[in-house]
Amino acid sequence: MPRLLVQRLLQAIPLLLIVSLLVFALIHAAPGGPLTLYLSNPNVRPADIERLRRALGLDQPLWQQYLAWLCAFVRGDWGYSYADGRPVLDRLLERLPATLELIATSMALGALVALPLGIVGAVRRHGWFDRLTTVLSFAGISLPVFWFGLLLQLVFAVTLGWLPSSGRSGMGGGGFVDRVEHLVLPAGVLALVHAAAWSRYLRASMSQVLRQPFMIAARARGVPDRTLWLRHALRNALIPVLTVVLLDAAIMVSGAVVTESVFAWPGVGSLFTESLARRDYTVLMAFLMLSSCAVVALGLVADLLYGRLDPRVGGDPS
Amino acid sequence: MSVKALVSRPVIRRLSALAAIVLAAAGPACARRQAAGPSNDLLVVAYDREPDTLNRFSTHILEDIETCIVEGLTTTDDKMNVVPLLASEVPTLENGGVRLRADGGMDVWWKLRPGVAWHDGKPFTSADVKFTVEALNNPSYKPESTDGFDRIASVETPDPLTAIVHYREVYAPYAIQFVRGCFPRHVLAGRDIDRATDYNRNPLGTGPYRVAQWRTGEHILLERVPNYWRGGGMPRIKRILFKFLANTNTRINQLRSGEAHLTALLPWDKLRDVEQVPGLVVHRMMGNAYEHITLNQKSVPAFADVRVRRALAHAVDRRMLTRTILNDLAPVIDGPIQPLSWAYTDQVRRYDYDPGRARALLDEAGWRDTGRDGIRERDGRKLAFTLITQAGFTIRENIAQAVQRQWREVGADVRIQLQDGTTISARWFEGRFDAMLHWWQMPSDPEMTLFFAADRVPPAGRNINYLRDEALTQVLYASDRTVDLVERRRLLQEAQRRIAELAPEIPLYNITRLDVVPARLRNFRGNPTNTGIFWNVHEWEIGR
Amino acid sequence: MSTPRVRRVRPQRAAGRVAAALLLALIVLAAAAPAIAPYAPEALDLAHRRAAPSPGHWFGTDELGRDLLTRVLFGARVTLAVGLLSALVAAGVGVTVGAVSGYAGGFLDSALMRFTDAMLAIPRLPLLMIASAVVDPSVPLLILIVGLAGWMESARLVRAEYLTLKEREFVAAAHAAGARSARIIVRHLLPGAVPSIVVSMTLAVGRGMLLESALSFFGVGVQPPTPSWGNMLYQAQTTMTSEPWLALFPGLFIFLTALAVNLIGDGLTAGDE
Repeated sequence: MPRLLVQRLLQAIPLLLIVSLLVFALIHAAPGGPLTLYLSNPNVRPADIERLRRALGLDQPLWQQYLAWLCAFVRGDWGYSYADGRPVLDRLLERLPATLELIATSMALGALVALPLGIVGAVRRHGWFDRLTTVLSFAGISLPVFWFGLLLQLVFAVTLGWLPSSGRSGMGGGGFVDRVEHLVLPAGVLALVHAAAWSRYLRASMSQVLRQPFMIAARARGVPDRTLWLRHALRNALIPVLTVVLLDAAIMVSGAVVTESVFAWPGVGSLFTESLARRDYTVLMAFLMLSSCAVVALGLVADLLYGRLDPRVGGDPS
Repeated sequence: MSVKALVSRPVIRRLSALAAIVLAAAGPACARRQAAGPSNDLLVVAYDREPDTLNRFSTHILEDIETCIVEGLTTTDDKMNVVPLLASEVPTLENGGVRLRADGGMDVWWKLRPGVAWHDGKPFTSADVKFTVEALNNPSYKPESTDGFDRIASVETPDPLTAIVHYREVYAPYAIQFVRGCFPRHVLAGRDIDRATDYNRNPLGTGPYRVAQWRTGEHILLERVPNYWRGGGMPRIKRILFKFLANTNTRINQLRSGEAHLTALLPWDKLRDVEQVPGLVVHRMMGNAYEHITLNQKSVPAFADVRVRRALAHAVDRRMLTRTILNDLAPVIDGPIQPLSWAYTDQVRRYDYDPGRARALLDEAGWRDTGRDGIRERDGRKLAFTLITQAGFTIRENIAQAVQRQWREVGADVRIQLQDGTTISARWFEGRFDAMLHWWQMPSDPEMTLFFAADRVPPAGRNINYLRDEALTQVLYASDRTVDLVERRRLLQEAQRRIAELAPEIPLYNITRLDVVPARLRNFRGNPTNTGIFWNVHEWEIGR
Repeated sequence: MSTPRVRRVRPQRAAGRVAAALLLALIVLAAAAPAIAPYAPEALDLAHRRAAPSPGHWFGTDELGRDLLTRVLFGARVTLAVGLLSALVAAGVGVTVGAVSGYAGGFLDSALMRFTDAMLAIPRLPLLMIASAVVDPSVPLLILIVGLAGWMESARLVRAEYLTLKEREFVAAAHAAGARSARIIVRHLLPGAVPSIVVSMTLAVGRGMLLESALSFFGVGVQPPTPSWGNMLYQAQTTMTSEPWLALFPGLFIFLTALAVNLIGDGLTAGDE
């Protein structure tokens, strides 16, 4: 395992380098730049823009800007935001807790719902419960998140008045109960969307496993049903589910953009949307490096877990 | 024996039990929350974005929150008049505050209001005015704009309450030069203002409020200052909470649930959602902005022919659009200067809906439907172009589609393209588009030179119509160099008439403001300019 | 165990057949939209905006007084093409990359998986904005973009399945019998990964249909006035409470399509039993 770890870390270096290069090229190719906002003031003249471009080093050839960014980044200097002049790292770190809170809660809730749905769906495949959850989960998948979110706000905040409609806390930060109340709707939306997809994967792979000869043989040996399903079948069936769950987690580290926007959730997703609109290059780069690292790390976690779930894979997964 | 029959019943039973426990636990929490209504203790504003910085000179968004904290020497009131704030009067030629020099420059004498102090107790003086000009002209600082400041040669401070601003040339909008207030010299002298996070996140001002808390991504809480210079128990409202809610529907849901009490600039198509909410009223006011379609003559040669432009104007049924899509909330207008402005005239050429006239004009200009496909051609080229507009604005997307149909009726083939805001800005600045549906907020001083003078085509200005008319250009420049109001008005009205004749763009309607406020809010007056609705926040009060 | 299995498979196959018929019907309706739609898709009627469903307009009318049924029919053309074909593109690329990676292991696996990671790490939004600035939006392009944005999940899934499957006895047996790698990948390993692939594809259809509407926002998706179910749904969020049918009908069709694809997939995997 340490070997795998070292190997992966070594592989991560060229990966991050390539991603950073691609992303750098991409965001610079997008129309406009950090100075585009200055244009909305009609009295700003081309000379002013030129002066600012030079002052910010945006007039240099792209490869030089990239190298400058790379050198600084490697040294731990992530630069300053073009939007408010504060250090990029500060801006990112102050947003991260909200996003992590949302990911952790929604994934835990999602798994809690997906596991029973998937298992029951597989063992009682085509029963009424399975049919019902099939229809419901496809309703969940077809309903866009912005829609679902607004609907829940209308029901639980506007009509019933049980929960706050959006935001992360009441005035002044709020206590624990206040935080939980604010978390319910956004985490619930994400959890249901996740559960809808994950339960499908679990149901499919579990019913596949249940049909395997070794399962039939195990039951013939008199292994009790509960042990059979929860120990043997589930364990084997979890591999695809785990793959998808970790993938979703990696994607969510870069923010559940739509959910954060609909629920005014102060996470990295809304920072990203904002920075993208302003072409805040330094924040965007830092953000994208963060999400790349998450993808790499969770990919590694997935490979390690495969080995644990199915010892036969353990040998040399890379 | 099938596999399925074995597990499921206990599992389902257990699931139901779990669900029951969850519901039971949630039960007590499910009482209806008591959303606090607006009061003199707290007013909650549903605000559409988080400010980048609270430094009024650096920010790229509207300065609503800053208005409550940092006061200008003057401000713009609800009638678009420039009124004194930290100055004791607005300098004019008549009161001797403005003097034209023989060398073509001018001097403006600002008399400051006595007895005004910064929130930290230090007196506000002319030295702060002088420092502000110098800070803005310092090339190492990157403010949002240096309008007018770059025309100032120096500032003289004969005494703490007098600042004499020496302009190198005549500058007509001098009265709003210090509308964004001043920097406190004792805090910022000698510092890199772009990185002065303490000031930029919690600016020192002279206004009725100061920042109590800024939770990133969530809200800014303002609290009233103890000894506001106006006295008289002002401001009356103790705290104002600005919640950042970027999504319009989210903002409206907060109003409907009572979690927020006020929001500015409600989109017209959302009026139906808030009209019925008890305790709220919608304050409607004509704005100083107008929606229009820019016709880029550089990229579409057909637009260079005034007959084509007039035909396109006649082909749009603006009355119909405002009556239906805008629910009659915004009036049709005929030019860039809005009816609120002192320079406005309605004595201009109008382009009423007249498809017959539009067709005749296009025929006359040589654009005929020779291919019998409903699209006009000339010299083998079709009358076809792309109309770009910003994505995410339902009303604008609908207007674009309606205009597309109406133009199609007279034989023009229009393709719609939606783009994100920054892309639009970039293309706008470079003049890289055929036609654009957008709006523009006019300054309270109606300077139009930048938009219509022949030598102000990009990149030198914002003449993105690429209109080149010598007569108009001369009138516009003359108006810029005129401080005398009567003469300036005459020149600007002549310019409006000329613009209407030339039809470089198609004006559609006035951007009428809808501001949603608590029904019990007293002394709310609104504001049509970029000054925003908080300009008189010190007078606001929640009644019974 | 043979009797219950037969009983179980049949209704599922029937459901699969019904679903296939439904999907086929939708495709035919989409193709025949110009012939069967009651109105022209872009005909405005500003005097009758947001009319409730009625005999004249079965699904009511939209914000600009256009017949909603007509727009749903025309919208099907873009949405079905993008949803179904992009899922095929995603599955094709994903299965290939995942299968090769999982079977080969070693350097090839590392290289392919790090490539997959890289693709995952590059966010869609800037990519789409740039695409919109550089190229003219078109349906084939949309299919490609949506498909290429979504293959990584299948690749990871198939690889994960292969990692476990290839250690099983029957693979060793096939090797011993002298089977070529390509044959083992396709014949012996692929069937084991099919359930996951099917789920991934059916989910991809639903997501693809929704992603298309998100793309319109960046000027990459279909531009107004061309309808798609996604952009109709997006437009309808303004009128969620006052005119629910504006969202109901496009939403319902997205749901039915996603469900039909799933049932077909389910029917296919049930057939393996």
